[in-house]
Amino acid sequence: MSEMWINMGPQHPMTHGLWNLRVKIDGEIVLDVDPEMGYLHRGIEKISEDRHYNEIITLMDRTCYVAGIAWEHLFILAAEQALHVEPPERALWIRMLSEEFQRVASHLMWYAAFVQDIGLMSPFLYGMRDRDLVLDLFQSYTGGRLTYEYMRVGGVRNDLPPGFAEQARKVCDWLLDRFVEYDRLCSGSDIFHRRCDDLGVVKAQDCIRLGITGPMLRSAGVPRDLRKDRPYAAYDRVDFDVATAETADVTGRYVVRMEELRQSVRIIRQALDWLDKNPGPVMADNVPRWMGAPYAPVGREGYLLKREYPKGVGFSAIEEPHGEALAYVVNEGGEHPYRVKLKSPVFVNLSAARHYLVGYRVADIPPIMGSVDICVGEVDR
Amino acid sequence: MAPLSLYGVANTLVSTLLLHLAAVLPAPLSTLASNSGLITALSVLLFGAILLGASLLNTILLIWFERKMLGRFMDRRGAMHVGYAGLLQNFADGLKLFRKHTFKPRDADGLGFFSAPTAYMVTSIVMFGILPISTGWNSGSLPLSLLLALVVFSFAPLFIFLGAWSSANKYSLIGGMRSAAQMIAYEVPILLAVVAVILLSGSFDLSTIVAEQRNYWFWGPLFLALLVFVAGMLAEMERIPFDLPEAEAELVEGWNTEYGGMLFAFFMLADYARALVGSYLIVLLFLGGWTMPGWVPAPLTNFPLAGILWFQVKTYLVFGVFIWVRASLPRVRTDQLLRVGWMRMIPLALLSIVLAALVVLAKCLPVFGCVPSVGG
Amino acid sequence: MAESEPTPSSNPVLWVAKPLVTAARQFGKSLFRPSTIVYPFERLEDPKFRGAVRVAPGKPIGVGQVWDNYRGVHALNIDTCISCNLCAFSCPDLCIDMVTVPGGDPRHPKKCPQIDYGKCSYCGFCSDACPEGCLTMTTRYELSVSKRADMIYSPERLREVFNAKLPMSPIRVERPKNEDAILLDAPLCIGCNACARDCPTKCITMVDLPKPVPKGGEKLPKRIWKEPVVNDSDCVRCGTCISVCPKECLFWGTHR
Repeated sequence: MSEMWINMGPQHPMTHGLWNLRVKIDGEIVLDVDPEMGYLHRGIEKISEDRHYNEIITLMDRTCYVAGIAWEHLFILAAEQALHVEPPERALWIRMLSEEFQRVASHLMWYAAFVQDIGLMSPFLYGMRDRDLVLDLFQSYTGGRLTYEYMRVGGVRNDLPPGFAEQARKVCDWLLDRFVEYDRLCSGSDIFHRRCDDLGVVKAQDCIRLGITGPMLRSAGVPRDLRKDRPYAAYDRVDFDVATAETADVTGRYVVRMEELRQSVRIIRQALDWLDKNPGPVMADNVPRWMGAPYAPVGREGYLLKREYPKGVGFSAIEEPHGEALAYVVNEGGEHPYRVKLKSPVFVNLSAARHYLVGYRVADIPPIMGSVDICVGEVDR
Repeated sequence: MAPLSLYGVANTLVSTLLLHLAAVLPAPLSTLASNSGLITALSVLLFGAILLGASLLNTILLIWFERKMLGRFMDRRGAMHVGYAGLLQNFADGLKLFRKHTFKPRDADGLGFFSAPTAYMVTSIVMFGILPISTGWNSGSLPLSLLLALVVFSFAPLFIFLGAWSSANKYSLIGGMRSAAQMIAYEVPILLAVVAVILLSGSFDLSTIVAEQRNYWFWGPLFLALLVFVAGMLAEMERIPFDLPEAEAELVEGWNTEYGGMLFAFFMLADYARALVGSYLIVLLFLGGWTMPGWVPAPLTNFPLAGILWFQVKTYLVFGVFIWVRASLPRVRTDQLLRVGWMRMIPLALLSIVLAALVVLAKCLPVFGCVPSVGG
Repeated sequence: MAESEPTPSSNPVLWVAKPLVTAARQFGKSLFRPSTIVYPFERLEDPKFRGAVRVAPGKPIGVGQVWDNYRGVHALNIDTCISCNLCAFSCPDLCIDMVTVPGGDPRHPKKCPQIDYGKCSYCGFCSDACPEGCLTMTTRYELSVSKRADMIYSPERLREVFNAKLPMSPIRVERPKNEDAILLDAPLCIGCNACARDCPTKCITMVDLPKPVPKGGEKLPKRIWKEPVVNDSDCVRCGTCISVCPKECLFWGTHR
C-alpha cells in the first residue's frame, strides 16, 4: 500500500469530541499527523465580554463539559482577584471539595473512554456507572449533573445539604473498591501491557519544551502539580501526594490517573472532615450585586443600567483534571469584564500530537490519543 | 422406534400431503402428484426451508443471548422491551434496517459492493447445511464434510476484502487488508489443530468424528488443539481480542463502514451465523457433539430430539465463553495477532498433532486392547 | 521507537486471568439485579429509590436525596408573583419574557415570566433571584415536545407545574448580605411618581418637599415638589425604578 492521508475525524470514534486528526500512513505505520482543531469554537472568551461576571459561570461550565466545576473555579478565582473580593473560608473548602469530585468524575470519564479505545467493552460501563454516583453527589448540592452553575463571585451558591458528608463518604468507599477492580481489568491484563507499554512516549524534556502539562507531564516523572506548587483554595492545608510515573508512555499516564483518583478521594475525605467541624457562611459579605439588571427591561432595549466596580486585573492557574488551566480577567470597572483569556491544557497537549504519534501504528492512535484525555470543549472554547 | 430425521419428517409430510391431493385431484394431476421424483424434490425443498429457517432463528436467538449476557457483564440489562425480556428486539432491529434506503457510495464499485454482502451471507448459511446437528439431522452423510466445512468457512475474508475494496473507503480498505493478513495467520493453525482431531478420530466425516467421541470427548487429549482452535475461531469470527478488521476505535467500522440498511444487516446476521457455526465446530470436534457422557442419567438423554437439545446447550455454553472473553479483554494489535498466530499457535498445533499421534499409539497398546482406527 | 517488546511489567503468569475473573465476578453480581434502572417504568425519583443512601454492596443505584435539588422545569406561583422582572433580568440566555397575565389592574397590568425552554440553560439564576420565592425549579426533567412552539411555557403552564406539587429543593441559596441600595440624585428629580407607581413592592413613597422660595430672578425648576424615599427593608433591588426613571436620577449605590 502506498502512502495516504486519512482523516480521523471530525466524526470518528477516536476523537472523543469534534476535531480532526489527519494521519499520513504507509500501511499501518503512521508517517505524519496534523491535528486540526476549531470545530467546536463557540467564542466563549468573546461572549464573556458581554456578560456579567456571574453569568460567565454558565459559559465556564460549558467550556469543558466533563470538568465544568474546575473551570468555574478557575474563572471565579481570577474574577475575585479582579473584583477585589475575598471569599469566606468555608467556601474555599467547598470549592476544593467540588474540584476534587470533578477530578474523580473527569478521570472516571477518561477511564471509560480510554478502555473503549483499546477495545475493552465492559469497563466503559463500570466507569460511567461509578461516575454517575459522583454526579449524584454533585446534583445533591449544586442541582446540576453536568453544568453546575455553583460558584459565585465571593463564595458558592449554597452550603452542603444535611447528610451530604455521610453519602459522600460512602461513595468514596465504594469508589476505592472499584479502583482496585479497574486496575485488575486494565493493568492486570497482559494484553493491556502489550498494547500500551512504550506507546506514545514523550520524555520529560520534550514535555517541558512543548508545554505539555497535567498527567502527561507527571507520567514522564516531573512532579509538577499546581495544587502543590502554587496552592490555591485550601490545597496547602490538605495532605496528598503528587502522582508520578517514570515510563512516559500510555501505561504511565494510566498509572498516574489511577493514582490521582486515589489521591482525590484522600483530599475529599479531609475536606469533608474539615467541613463537618467548621460551619460558617459560604458567601462573602461585600460582594458586587450579582443578580439584577444588566439588560434593559422589555420595551426599553438599549437602556443599560450602569453600575461601577473597582478596577482590577485577575489571574489564576489551577490544576484542572486535564492539566494546567490559566485564566486572565481584566476588569475595567464596568459590569462586564473587559477581557477574559483562558488557556486550555488540552489544546497544548493535543497540538504536540506529532511528537507522540509518528512512528507508531494506526491501531496505536486511539490508545495514545485516549491517554491524552481530550476534551474538545476546552480546546476550542 | 427409528431415530427421527429431518429429511424423514419432510418426506413424510410431503408424501402424505401429495397422497391426499392425489385422491382429490382429477386424473392427469393425480398421477403427477404421486410421482416419486416430485415427492423427493419437494421434500428436499421443505427440508432446506426448515433447516434454513431454524438456523436463522437460532442465529437471532444467539444475538439475543449475546446482548443479554454482555449486558450482565456490563452491569446492565440489555434489550428489555420488545417481547419477553427483549426476545423480539432483533426482529424489530431487522425490520428497521429492512426499511432503510440501500445506498452505494458514489465511487464504490457496484458489482463488488452489492455482491460482497450477499456472498458473505450465502457462504455463512451454507454451513448450516454441512454441519450435522444430531444424527439424521443433516443434509446427508458427506465423507469429507469437515474439509468442506472448513473450506466454505474460510471463504469469508475473500468477500470481506471484496466488499472493503469496492467500498472506495480508506478505512474499509485498511480493514479488508487486515482481514486478509489475519486470515493467513490463523487459518494455518486452525487446519493443523483439525489435523489432530482427524488423526484421533480417523475420519473427515463430522458424524463419524462425533461418533468416535462416544467414550471420551476429544478436548481432554487434544486440549492444546482446542486452545489453538478456539483462538483461531475467535479470529475467524472477528470477535473481540482479534476483531482488528472492524476495530471500532480506529477504523470506525472497518470493512463494513460504508454499508448501511439491509446490506449491513446481511453482514451482521452473517457474522453471527459464523459465530454460531464456529461454536458448532468446536462442539463437534472437541466437545462430543450431540453425545453425552455415560454418567448423565438416561432420562435426560433418551427422549426424542435430546441430541439437538444437548448440542444447542453446548453451543451456547461455548458461545458464552466467547462473550465472556469479549467482555473482559482488550483488542490486540495486527502485528501482535500475526506474531501470536505464527509464533505461538502453529508450534502449539504441531505439538498437539504429536500428542494426538501418541494417543493413537497408546490405543494400540495391548493394555487397552483396541485396534487403531487409522490404517497403518 | 515504534517497535518495542512488552516491558516486564506485564504478568505472563496470570496472563489474562485477572480481567476474566473480575468480569465474571461482576457478571455474578449483576445477574439478578443490574445497577441500571428501567427508566420509563422505574425512575430515580420513585419512592423505592428515595430516602436512604443507595450505595449497597454490588448495587450502586444512586445517592439518596438527589432529586429534590434537581434544577428542572420551573414552577410559578402566579398569585405571589410581584412582577419585579428580576428573573428576566438575571437570565443569561434571555429566555424569560414578562407577559401580561389576566387579573391585573388594566392600567398597570400584571406581568409574569414566560420561559422559552429552547433557550433555557437551567442555571437557576432566575429562581435564585426571585425575591418572593414564587419562581422555583422543580424536579421535572421530561421536556420532549413535537413542536418548537411547545417549548415556550406561558405563565399558565408554569402554574400547572406549580400545581403539580413536585418536591422542592431544601437548599437555601446564600445571597450577598449588604447589597447595593437605590440612591437618589436629588437635584435631578422632577418628582414624577413613575418610580413609586411601577415599584413592584410599593416600597417607594413620595414625600413632600418644601417648595423653595425663589431668590431674586432665579427660576425655579419645573417639577412636582415631591421626592421618592425607598424603604430599604422592603426593597427587592429589582431596579425597575431605575429603568423607568425619565431623568436617570436613581442609581445603584451603597449607604455610607
